Order: sequence, then C-alpha cells, then structure tokens
Amino acid sequence: MTGNAGLLWLMRREVLRVTKLWSQTVLAPVVSSILFILVFGLSLGGRLGSVGGVAYEAFIVPGLITMAMVQAAYNNNASTIFQARSDRYVNDVLSAPMHPWQLNLGYNVGGIVRAIAIGAALLALSAPLTGVPVERPFALAAAVALGLVLFSALGLVVGIFADQWDHTTFISNILILPLTFLGGVFYSVEMLPAPWEELSHFNPIFYLVQAVRFGFLGTSDVSVWLALGVTAALAVPTYAWAQWLFSSGRRLKA
Amino acid sequence: MAGIANPNGQHDLFGAAGAASAAVSLERVPDAPPALSVTGLTKRYDDGTVALRDFDLEVPAGSFFGLLGPNGAGKTTLISAVCNLIRVTDGDIRVFGQPASTLLARSWVGLAEQDINLDRFLTVRETLVYHGGWFGMAGRDAEARAEEMIDVFDLRAKADVRSPRLSGGMRRRLLLARALMHRPRLVILDEPTAGVDFELRQELWSYIRKLHAAGTTILLTTHYLEEAESLCKEIALIRHGEVVARDSADGLREHYGADTLADVYVRAMS
Repeated sequence: MTGNAGLLWLMRREVLRVTKLWSQTVLAPVVSSILFILVFGLSLGGRLGSVGGVAYEAFIVPGLITMAMVQAAYNNNASTIFQARSDRYVNDVLSAPMHPWQLNLGYNVGGIVRAIAIGAALLALSAPLTGVPVERPFALAAAVALGLVLFSALGLVVGIFADQWDHTTFISNILILPLTFLGGVFYSVEMLPAPWEELSHFNPIFYLVQAVRFGFLGTSDVSVWLALGVTAALAVPTYAWAQWLFSSGRRLKA
Repeated sequence: MAGIANPNGQHDLFGAAGAASAAVSLERVPDAPPALSVTGLTKRYDDGTVALRDFDLEVPAGSFFGLLGPNGAGKTTLISAVCNLIRVTDGDIRVFGQPASTLLARSWVGLAEQDINLDRFLTVRETLVYHGGWFGMAGRDAEARAEEMIDVFDLRAKADVRSPRLSGGMRRRLLLARALMHRPRLVILDEPTAGVDFELRQELWSYIRKLHAAGTTILLTTHYLEEAESLCKEIALIRHGEVVARDSADGLREHYGADTLADVYVRAMS
C-alpha cells in the first residue's frame, strides 16, 4: 500500500472536474483574454507602435497569457478545495490511504492542467493573430512551471483557510488581478516615471510576467535569472505551506 | 423499489476471497487483534472543548458493536479519530493491530458518515469508482465493483446522475455503497438510518446484518434504541466522553434492572 494509485485517481478527479465544467474553466478565460488581445492589441496597437522593438499586439500577449493562467490555477484550486471542505466530501479523501504529499500534489494538478489548457489555447489563437514568437522555450517552460506551482498552491492555501466563498474571490480580485495588471502586462515598467518604476520591482508578479515575456520575446525588463529566482523563491514556500496544511490537518481536520 | 439485494446471493458484495479470508482469519486465529483498539484517547478541540478524555475501547474482530449516547457524548469524535478526520490530542488507535494512521489500517476501514457528504461533481458511478481508486483499487476492479454496488443498492436507474439530483434515500444508499466499495474489514456506520423512512431502514438493517454475517466487523452509532437492540451483539453507552456501561442488550437490562433498553439508557445517562 503506497498510496500512489490513490494519487493518480485524485489527479483524475481534479482533471475531470475541469473537463466537466470546460465552458467555465477553459472557454470563458480564453474568450476574455482573446478579447483583450483584439481590443488592446489589434485595435489600439497600431496607434501605440512598438515597445522595445516589439509590436504592441505581440508585446502584451505574454502578460495576458500569464494573467489568464495564474488566475485559472488559483481560482480552480481555491474553489475545488473550498467546495470539498464546505460539503465535507473532502473527508472521503482525507480518510483514504494516501500520504499528505500525495493529497497536496493531487489537489494541485487540477489548477495546473486547467491553466496549461488555457495557455495552450491562447498561444494557438494569438500566435497567428499577433505573430508573437516563442524565442526561449526552455525559459518559458521554467517560468510557467514555477508560476503555476506558486498560484496553484496559493489557491489551495486560501481555499483551506477560507470560511466563505468571498474570501477566495477577495484574494483574486483585490490582490492577484491588480498586481498582475501593475506587473507590466500592458507596458514596460521602464516607461513609468519614478517612483512607479522602482515600486514595480516590489511586485512579485512583475517578475513572473518578465520571465514569461523573456520566454516569448527573448527580452524583459529585468534579468531572466532574477525573474525566475524571485518566482521560485515564492513558489517553494507557498507549496510547502500547502504541504504543511495537509500534513498537520490545520483547517482541514477539527 | 427493488430494494437492496442479498449480499450473499445474487451479488458478491465482499468478493469471494474477501469474505472467505475474513471468515478464515476469525476461525483460525482465536487471538487475532481486535478490529479496533482505542487506548487513552483524548481530543481537545481548538475552542477548549474536551470531547474525549483518556478514552479506552476495544471492538473485537467480527463483532457487531453499537455505540449509544446523547448528542455531544463523543461518538462522532471517536469515529473521526479512527478515520483520520480529526487531529488527535493524545492516545493510541489501532485497527486490526495496525496504528490507525498507517495506510494499511486506513485501507481496512469503511466509513458512512451521519451527514450526506457526496461529491457534487461526480455521478453515482463515478462516486463509487473514484472512492475505490483512492482506496487503492485498480481501475477495472473499481469499475466492476462499482457495478456490483450499483445493483446491490438499487442505484442502476440513477447510475449516471450527479449526487445533488438524487433523492434523500438514494443519497443514503450511495453513502453506504461508497463505504463498502473497497471491501473494508471494519465498517463504521455513524447513524446510517437518521432521517430514513421505515421501508429503507428495514432494507438497510437487513443488508447490514448480512454484511456482518459474512465476516465484516460493524461499528454502529445510532439514536434508535430498537435499532441497536435488534442489530448489535454488544453495546457501549457513552456519556461525556466516557464509557459508562458495556454489555449485550440482555446484560445491560439485567445490570440496570430494566425492562427495556430505553430504561437502561435513561438510567445510564441520568
């Protein structure tokens, strides 16, 4: 008895939830992000010219894909664990012969799969529309992996601590969305006057956006190593935090 | 309504090997470890409430054991501790000799909780298959077992319906089917007939009796005294987190000089 079979079934259940609700979990975020690209990129892009030598409609694609993916990873996992706690069917999983690390990994997978589905769809749609390249695929893969671990685990942590739905949406609407917008999705922070450019460097999502942008365009406002390092420095403790919650049973068990 | 099928007849509920091995183990190993052994169990909740204090209990393998007590006596806390659903403050819990926290021990326990707690995103069939999966069953085994349970619990017509669209009785059947899905050696039923109509209650009683006859250890909590008297070979009365009496229904009546189990209950709890 290793619990690995249970882990695979838990992963399947989390992916099943995403696919059953595909119109909400995948289609809706893809449509809204494509609208951003169409409105801001294609309609206004011609007047805004280029940013750092990159056409504006292509410049905004990495940030928009990042925004869609991290929100999906967070929202998915916050809602799946909160629903399971609220309806108490999480007990069926907690009583099963699985290790805490398997529970943590299994619950993380749903958000990651959902985010990758959204990212892949957006890339497939935006590449022909905007001509955005993928200059550094390995850097892109590393950035996406770290970003998804960070926000999937954050979703679990918030979903475990939340007492009501509002708590999960509060973090999404008041923290993640503004920080993503201010993280240079639509502009290069070098275009900002002081002190806003300097303040942007205190925004952790700025580094994730920069790392993903480097993967797509081969350029970014900061070193890609710094961007990946900051993202990893956030992802590792956040995943460990979720792991601690499953190991200790805090907020999951009375 | 077709009712719940005979577990020893048309459908092989426990799996021939499972039933046989349970029976053999009880016959050949007279000093087999108890199905459940609880020693010095203490549970203090975060708000300071002490639900169980230095609680001891032993449930023999193969027994049909009843736990009776008022709300707040500690029955559900005890069950939750056995099933890894609460953080235990202190004490030792063993299932067939294995620490309850081990994966092996957890794979031996099946729990039907008092409240309906079904995954709203899954159909009846998926609920059973996925439960089997995270209790370690292989895919084909889980799917075949789920089909058996669907027939046994008369859920065929709703097999592809999600749980929120089931009637109360159907949900209760599914809850019990899920608890038995992975062929547990110890089945814990926390007030399985609460809010259930007379007809379904009779069906569940009949089914649970046959389950026990096939070698499964049953731990039952209930507020229905006639249910405990009819089903359980041994009954423990719990009050304020302590066992105040433990015997067969006849033994309890004799000990308390009472005519009915209800009289025993009143005297024990007063």
